[in-house]
Amino acid sequence: MNDNRRQILEMLATGKITADEAERLLAALESSPANPAGEQSGSVAGATVKTRAKYLRVLVEADDDLTGLKKGPTTVNVRVPMQLLRAGVRLASLIPAQAHNQLDEAFSRHGVPLTLSQIKPENLEELIDHLEDLTVDVDSRDTGATKVRVFCE
Amino acid sequence: MTPNFAVISIQTPTWHTPRLWVPLFLFWIPIILLSPIIFLVLVVVAVGIHTNIWRLISLCWGILSGLPGTDVRVNAEGNRVLVRIL
Repeated sequence: MNDNRRQILEMLATGKITADEAERLLAALESSPANPAGEQSGSVAGATVKTRAKYLRVLVEADDDLTGLKKGPTTVNVRVPMQLLRAGVRLASLIPAQAHNQLDEAFSRHGVPLTLSQIKPENLEELIDHLEDLTVDVDSRDTGATKVRVFCE
Repeated sequence: MTPNFAVISIQTPTWHTPRLWVPLFLFWIPIILLSPIIFLVLVVVAVGIHTNIWRLISLCWGILSGLPGTDVRVNAEGNRVLVRIL
């Protein structure tokens, strides 16, 4: 039994989906056997089989009223591959211990209670997985003068 | 996969560059020629930060192979900058 079939049956067993919905999902699964496990997406009655995010996107739009620059709006559109993020987090493990302490102090001074020494290879994948669920939407109160979106796709 | 091309474009209100396709794969030739020196530098860095040389090489390779797909577009004060790595 493959992972997708097991997942659908587990959703049925826990009552997240009805028998009809499970049947439709299984039929869809059988009609697309080429899709690898864990990379399918579908949604039935709020039950979603998750896709794996490949990129972290950061979108910023700011009106010229806000920036004070009367030369049109400022926009930033950044797409960073998750693979690069993984490598970047691994890079943190190379930072010497004494530098860790200084960085932790600097982070806490700026209101970021982050302890770099806690980022270890064994919890790296978990960190990235949680990042895939991240969505940040910021709309300014001034009639939407600034919009910031951070999400994974 | 390592980065093969970089697409760079810069536009200001007064001038702009054409969209430049930089063939990054050509950099492999000097990198391969300089690989003994690069390896020595990495050994020194690895000793300096008390880590395994192979771990350092694996990290560098991870960053290099993670670069394709990076896309940065900034538009401010009428200036536009585009950097894409393919």
